[in-house]
Amino acid sequence: MRHFTKLAIAGTLAAVTGGAAVAQELFLPNLSYRTGPFASTGTPIMNGQRDYMIMLNERDGGIGGIPVNFEECETGYSTEKGVECYERQKANALVTQPWSTGITLQVLPKTNVDQIPILAPGYGFSPMSDGRTFQWAFNPPASYWDGAYMIMDHIADGDMSNLDGKKIAFLHLDHPYGKEPLPVLEKLAAEHGFELLPIPVGLAEMQNQAAQWLQIRRERPDFVVMWGWGAMNAGAITEAVKTRYPMDQFVGVWWASHSDDLQLVGEEGTGYRAISWSMPQNDAPVMDDIQQYVVDPGESLASEEERSEVFYQRGLVISMMLAEGVRTAQEMHGVAEITPAQLRDGLANLDITEERLEELGMTGMVPPFSTNCANHTGHSGAWMLQWDGEEFVQASDLLEADRSVINPLQEEKAAEYAEANAPWPVDESCNPS
Amino acid sequence: MLYRTAGQYKTTYRSDQALFPVRQDAILLMVVLAFGWVILPFTASEFVFQTLLIPVLIYALAATGLNILTGFAGQLSLGTGAFMGVGAYACYKLVTIFPEMNLLIAVLLSGFFSAAVGVAFGLPSLRIKGFYLAIATLAAQFFLIWLFEKWAWLYNYNASGAIQVPNLDIFGWYVAGPLATSTTQYYFVLAVVTLLTILTINLTRGALGRSWKAVRDMDIAAELIGINLLKAKLMAFAVSSYIVGVAGALFVFMWRGAAEPNLFDIELSFRVLFIAIIGGLGSILGNYLGAILIVALPVILNTVPGAFGLEIKSATVEHINVMIIGALIIFFLIVEPHGLARLWQLIREKLILWPFPH
Repeated sequence: MRHFTKLAIAGTLAAVTGGAAVAQELFLPNLSYRTGPFASTGTPIMNGQRDYMIMLNERDGGIGGIPVNFEECETGYSTEKGVECYERQKANALVTQPWSTGITLQVLPKTNVDQIPILAPGYGFSPMSDGRTFQWAFNPPASYWDGAYMIMDHIADGDMSNLDGKKIAFLHLDHPYGKEPLPVLEKLAAEHGFELLPIPVGLAEMQNQAAQWLQIRRERPDFVVMWGWGAMNAGAITEAVKTRYPMDQFVGVWWASHSDDLQLVGEEGTGYRAISWSMPQNDAPVMDDIQQYVVDPGESLASEEERSEVFYQRGLVISMMLAEGVRTAQEMHGVAEITPAQLRDGLANLDITEERLEELGMTGMVPPFSTNCANHTGHSGAWMLQWDGEEFVQASDLLEADRSVINPLQEEKAAEYAEANAPWPVDESCNPS
Repeated sequence: MLYRTAGQYKTTYRSDQALFPVRQDAILLMVVLAFGWVILPFTASEFVFQTLLIPVLIYALAATGLNILTGFAGQLSLGTGAFMGVGAYACYKLVTIFPEMNLLIAVLLSGFFSAAVGVAFGLPSLRIKGFYLAIATLAAQFFLIWLFEKWAWLYNYNASGAIQVPNLDIFGWYVAGPLATSTTQYYFVLAVVTLLTILTINLTRGALGRSWKAVRDMDIAAELIGINLLKAKLMAFAVSSYIVGVAGALFVFMWRGAAEPNLFDIELSFRVLFIAIIGGLGSILGNYLGAILIVALPVILNTVPGAFGLEIKSATVEHINVMIIGALIIFFLIVEPHGLARLWQLIREKLILWPFPH
């Protein structure tokens, strides 16, 4: 029995000291996935996010003088584990970084009740960018719908009417994530007269897409647009090489720009393109700081090669957006220890200008963008990256989505969501000029 | 000493056939029920409700459903996850088509849809047995998941292909959706689970339950003593799928809040099957013990390093967790191949004799 008493005392002590420590830090947890089927793509992003926060702690003593507690909770990309993590952290968390569309969908309806902002950079539910309806959700700097529009715009050489009569295959994961851009693509297809051929890839067949590529070979589409994740990307790229599909007609979303997937095919993958709102800049000043404050003391979990790749540096950009949100909130409210509601204000007033990027030492890593209470995405636009056989290089100027096409759709879907989840509060006071 | 059965005379058949012929069993159950109904709801935190209490109850109910089919009637099924999905989608369609419907009624009705589907996929059991039947139910698993993905009417043509639980109230109390409190949801789940467990215990003790056991032990012999195999097997599929379907509806409406088709994938079927096997096939108590081991233990283990102030990376904790759970499963199966319920039965027998082993 004495044994158990000790255990109980140790437990209480830890809880008490843990509770005391919370008071002097910014608790910004992350629902990471370094295990499970998507670990290979998750790990570099998580490493980037983590290293940026460590760098801020070491270099500046945190944000606004308060150290960041960047705790990870491992989900393995499982929704069940994600919810467990969310429940565990929500008492102290300033933000939720859900890292999976499934977890986002589950946490999103709770945001109005729990009042913790969700930060889902470049993923999640596209209509979240409607800040009046989704007051607590943020998906900067670009949504999937932006991405879909920009890809179509780019392959049409800037004039969508060029696509008239073309056939475009949409190879996607058969999952909420993969279906996300369909409404925009369908709308564009109807408007501009191209034929959209959705080809779903089930979760179980990600690694063996022979059937899908047989269909692509038979249909001979002019372009293949891919919305894949994890093992699906590598599967699609190797299969495309095997069936000799012309790689310069094959375009992926930003989550399909993992260098490791293309290293599998190397030279043969030359010409493959992926849209991306982040770009690796190995000589950016921030990389030197990472080297000095994180890598040299042996704190980084990433290898040198990994640090030069798209995903790791995208992780840096994601943490930068969160840190900027915190900084903005601190400035707006004049306090260093912010609350989740104040962080929401910060994230809704992000202003990442060219000058700010230069101050941060991240010029060229992400396009400038700004958010407001109605626009939780910022719609930064994105670049097209192209695989040159060894690495991803920039292949286009900054592309931008025509929001006049997407906005009506966004309003419709946001209203639908609010109606299905009634009573759902809509922020009527927000009317940005 | 504590569990002394001496002196508890049975003077009527009625008292001999009572649910708990031994007084201590009844007392123990009362204590557990008091814990479940009174003490836990007042002491549990949001975290405990959402990650321990509610999921354990729901998984235990799903395992009870499977146990009727596999443990009592001897028909192996690998389609539990999909049948849970049928219940969940049925409930979703019911509450979206009839928004005024009481959720309790919708949940209990949705079981009938999965029961119908279960009977349809149970028909091959009349001709095939054992592993071959498992393959037939596996077909149900894959077919139904495919249907959940492709039949857009099921998820109201939602662009993401997922179903989302709306805010639902019963007499002004929110019971489902983001506005519902965990305590309300817990009581809702507990009420349904208690009701169905009492029904199941009585069903398995009655004529139907005995015919299932006869079929399980030797179906030819059962047929020879006059049991209608068609009726017994299909009833097992119907009752089992009904309970599994209700568990599926609770799973989505009372706990998850949203669901995409692959949530009901084969992994869920295996999870429920593991709970039933480790808990003990052919036992009701076992489902609860199994659910505690498989669902609650990983969550508790996850909090252990933090409680001691140890700084371990969460990915490492996850890896260690998987290893510990795996080792425990093997350990329990070596110590007691008949499951945790049998382990409890042995402990109880020892307790009845203790402290005088003769």
